[in-house]
Amino acid sequence: MDIQARAYLPRIAALALAGASFLGVSAAQAKEITIWCWDPNFNVAIMKEAGDRYTKTHPDVTFNIVDFAKLDVEQKLQTGLSSGTADALPDIVLIEDYGAQKYLQSFPGAFAPLSGTVDYSGFAPYKVELMTLDGEVYGMPFDSGVTGLYYRKDYLEAAGFKPEDMQDLTWDRFIEIGKQVEAKTGKKMMGLDPNDAGLVRIIMQSAGQWYFHKEGKPNITGNAALKAALETIGKIMQANIYKPANGWSDWVGTFSSGDVATVVTGVWITGTVKAQPDQSGNWGVAPIPALSIEGATHASNLGGSSWYVLESSEEKAEAIDFLNEIYAKDIDFYQKILQDRGAVGSLLAARGGAAYEAADPFFGGEKVWQNFSEWLAKVPSVNYGIFTNEADLAVTAQLPAVTQGTPVDEVLKAIEAEIAGQIQ
Amino acid sequence: MALVRRAGIGRYYDVNGWLFVAPALGLIALFMIYPIAWSLWMSFQSGRGMTMKFAGFANIVRLWNDPVFIKALTNTMTYFVVQVPIMILLALILASLLNNPRLVGRGLFRTAIFLPCVSSLVAYSVLFKGMFATDGIVNSTLQAIGLVASPIPWLTHPFWAKVLVILAITWRWTGYNMIFYLAALQNIDKSIYEVARIDGVPAWARFTHLTIPLLKPVILFTTIISTIGTLQLFDEVYNLTEGKGGPSNATLTLSLYIYNLTFRFMPNLGYAATVSYVIVVLVALLAFVQFFAARERDR
Repeated sequence: MDIQARAYLPRIAALALAGASFLGVSAAQAKEITIWCWDPNFNVAIMKEAGDRYTKTHPDVTFNIVDFAKLDVEQKLQTGLSSGTADALPDIVLIEDYGAQKYLQSFPGAFAPLSGTVDYSGFAPYKVELMTLDGEVYGMPFDSGVTGLYYRKDYLEAAGFKPEDMQDLTWDRFIEIGKQVEAKTGKKMMGLDPNDAGLVRIIMQSAGQWYFHKEGKPNITGNAALKAALETIGKIMQANIYKPANGWSDWVGTFSSGDVATVVTGVWITGTVKAQPDQSGNWGVAPIPALSIEGATHASNLGGSSWYVLESSEEKAEAIDFLNEIYAKDIDFYQKILQDRGAVGSLLAARGGAAYEAADPFFGGEKVWQNFSEWLAKVPSVNYGIFTNEADLAVTAQLPAVTQGTPVDEVLKAIEAEIAGQIQ
Repeated sequence: MALVRRAGIGRYYDVNGWLFVAPALGLIALFMIYPIAWSLWMSFQSGRGMTMKFAGFANIVRLWNDPVFIKALTNTMTYFVVQVPIMILLALILASLLNNPRLVGRGLFRTAIFLPCVSSLVAYSVLFKGMFATDGIVNSTLQAIGLVASPIPWLTHPFWAKVLVILAITWRWTGYNMIFYLAALQNIDKSIYEVARIDGVPAWARFTHLTIPLLKPVILFTTIISTIGTLQLFDEVYNLTEGKGGPSNATLTLSLYIYNLTFRFMPNLGYAATVSYVIVVLVALLAFVQFFAARERDR
């Protein structure tokens, strides 16, 4: 028995090898595109919709959409790219806009340029700019984080404010309203996580500035928008019109539980706001408040991400064609993901579709999507640079000093010192 | 052919022997020695992602001028200086209490104190985060029994965040160290205590003058293990602060900083390798100091 088995062993091994290579061949024929992204209710679901649409016209292409947490996607991508082996990497990966230049510059040649294929003139300019390096455009612009001021109409009405009063505010006026809302309703104006610099970024970009100059040098001590943003946060804290939150879910809890009157954040929060059906009709959306400095606007951006094709991908051509067919041309697709997921894409032509025209009963019949897409075209374009994460942590580290009343100029100096040690 | 046992240097030239250890040696070289040597080489390089250049001692110079690194180092040393002695002492006291054969239900107590050690680092961190939230169970209990007037900002105040991390790791690891002491206590001859008791040595003196000196090798061992563990502290801080080491970098540890440099920030693997070697040097230095301190008292 033993001897027999040994005699057959080479044949069994050969068969197994042949089987494996056969499987390999059939997999290559089926052309499977592997995609990494996060958020099953948003990016993953939207990519599945896109995949289904493409498979209808290209039956030979299938999709394997892998759902990770955002941090895990970034870590796996960064590990894979650093190790220099492409085997473990997907064909398409989702990258948050703040990190785009970091990946493009630290791993030259890792991502496929799409400038030859995709017509970028149809996309929101700020999205295209952040994925451009040395004249080549990499990546397919996806969702926008265009910001809005979500507010509880019922609370504000109880405090004596109509929806007209919420349009085109300044931050000082916003704080003033917040004080009255608390005096009359006992509700705080907004939830605020002191370990999250998101609001700083929103305010800063609304005035057309960022942590860095266009050419990449730190822009901290001379940055009027950042200074005004920190001052605004300090005023909000001093006026004590905020409910402190620790971490994301805690922050979401501040408005889903009805404890606060407003939310200032990116449009992708819409689905979360609408997840409370009992609050239907009580919400309105206005442009975010503006600073009172030069270049201040009511439009800004928070987050948002885009799709990138790996240069080493075996299905590179199919992956690029897929992104181009669906994300750059399919207007109907954008209507579908807006209706189903509340995703505001950055393809400007999609704004003409029916879904964008629709009124939303949750927001009391306001045409919120129309508004958001108008604000999208006005978002000031800034250079996110490659060190946004570092700068963000430096700002977060100094936020408590702002609350304790340290002069903002000193805080800015401390932030600049920390960033200078980080970016080398 | 008779087997001849060759003596002396001849044994080193025995091909068969080398063949037997070759697979293990090869694997150790490939997965241990090569990465360690390569990381040492990397610590002399700098750059962004894949574009690395030889930089000499630039990374070491950068350490001195990096306020975040200094902060992470200070935090790590604070954890080490405050937490390790508390934990070792607590484990010692618990072990000698639970070693008392007359104690009723000591199996239950031993299990209860050791149990945290079985829990996953991530799971208990997440649980602690919920318990110590502003409106979590700890604050509401403290308020209910009137110990504090307003909730303690466990996760949002730099001082309390450090206290929370120290509380968490003490809870997790005290039982682990206690088991070592319990095992060692079983090996101490009971007659030594009998003699002491007959001579009228009080309980406290028996603990300080008999138990502790007799446990010294184990104490040394657990101190070094705890030192290494504390210097490599990562999971708890990562999960309590959502990977940020906040508030104001107050809980940032060296390991978390290495992680940030590699995976969160612009990837600078060279600088991250340099910071890793800081931990290596620190562990080596502290272990040496601890050995030295223990050896001194041997005479």
